[in-house]
Amino acid sequence: MIFAHLRRRRLLSLLAAGALEGREREETLAHAASCPRCRDGLDELRAVVAAMETDPLREAEPGMPLAFLVARVEREVEAALVPGERPRWWLVALPAAAAVLAVAVIVPVIVARFRPPTEAARAAIPPAEASPLLTEDALARIERNLAREHAVRYLSEAGEVLVSVAATSVDCDRAEERLDVGEAPERSRQLLEQRAMVVRQGGEAVASARGVLDDVEMALREVADLPSCVERRDVERVRQEVERRQLLMRIRLMTRELEG
Amino acid sequence: MESQGGAGDRELMARLAAGDRDALAPLMGRHYRRLYRIALSYLRQPDDALDVVQEAFVKAFQSASRWDGSAEAGPWLARITVNLSIDRWRRNRRRVQTFTPLAESDHAVSLADLGPSPDRRLEGREAGERVAAALRELPDRQRAVVVLRHYQDMSLAEIAQTLGMSLGTVKSSLHRALGRMRTVLAGERA
Repeated sequence: MIFAHLRRRRLLSLLAAGALEGREREETLAHAASCPRCRDGLDELRAVVAAMETDPLREAEPGMPLAFLVARVEREVEAALVPGERPRWWLVALPAAAAVLAVAVIVPVIVARFRPPTEAARAAIPPAEASPLLTEDALARIERNLAREHAVRYLSEAGEVLVSVAATSVDCDRAEERLDVGEAPERSRQLLEQRAMVVRQGGEAVASARGVLDDVEMALREVADLPSCVERRDVERVRQEVERRQLLMRIRLMTRELEG
Repeated sequence: MESQGGAGDRELMARLAAGDRDALAPLMGRHYRRLYRIALSYLRQPDDALDVVQEAFVKAFQSASRWDGSAEAGPWLARITVNLSIDRWRRNRRRVQTFTPLAESDHAVSLADLGPSPDRRLEGREAGERVAAALRELPDRQRAVVVLRHYQDMSLAEIAQTLGMSLGTVKSSLHRALGRMRTVLAGERA
């Protein structure tokens, strides 16, 4: 009898939790009806469950748009795939390409001027246009690819900066409702300095990205003007601007297009 | 629940397993709200909950190759989220021994959507704070069982699957957890 009662007490919790069905449920209800102490206990357990059912957190919405969260996750995934900061290889590649260009174009000219080849040598040396290093097509292709890579890097970094501002939740002054945007303004200024080179160097190769580049520039200018500890409404303004222009999605699509 | 699993999830998980990062966004779209609510119910801090959801999807991407293709993605993701929430909770507890309830500003987003009546919202918030105090007293796994049952409306079998527990352990955990919460809440009223 005592064991049966103890078992029923355990079932009362499950009954209150809505986790009993059928015969077990009926028997436990009947037991509660015949045992005043158990009935009181059941009422209290139901009050616990009811308190959870009215808890506002049940229906809480994430305080960050999905696009920002996706961008944060993608950034983390990329960081995990490539340990450490990625080298800005185009900073090395551009001078290297220029050197190749100089060697390919100027050296043959100098050689031709100061040491006229013999008939046999002339026959052996292919015309400049025939060499893979010297063809204008090959050089143009290299330049085009470099320009696109440069634009991809620029857009990706700009996207990271915008996400870091729009998704920030770190207080720097809680009383004044100010948020910390860290180095985002400084990074924005650096990126804006690169923008001209991206466009000038890119030419036709990045022509399709002009619209995105222009909108990104406007957003970066807003961030560049911010202090590192900003009012919440400033962050909200940047976030709304990024959302309104669908910048993150457009950056992602454009980088894919440029990467081919 | 936003997603009941099925072919969509499986296809997305298979793509993730193959290293296709483009599958992340649609998978997140299907599950992030639910995972956020699990983490938030457990941690009761919106920023921590968002961090956990972010971490959960990163982990899902990294572990996708080990995902059992016959399993549902929903419980698998929920399990990652619960485990990360428990880790985060433990870290927070070590760092700050005193509990910090949700600040007014933290409530702004969630409370705004609850309904028109300020009284109702205040009532809801008070209930939330009482519940938070009671949940705080529970051991980690019991807390997880309660959250999945009463904030996610999962069946006991689903909870067992999600947490990797036997059904009997889920039942006894729920019994003990509700008993403990009842004591805490009764003590508050006294």
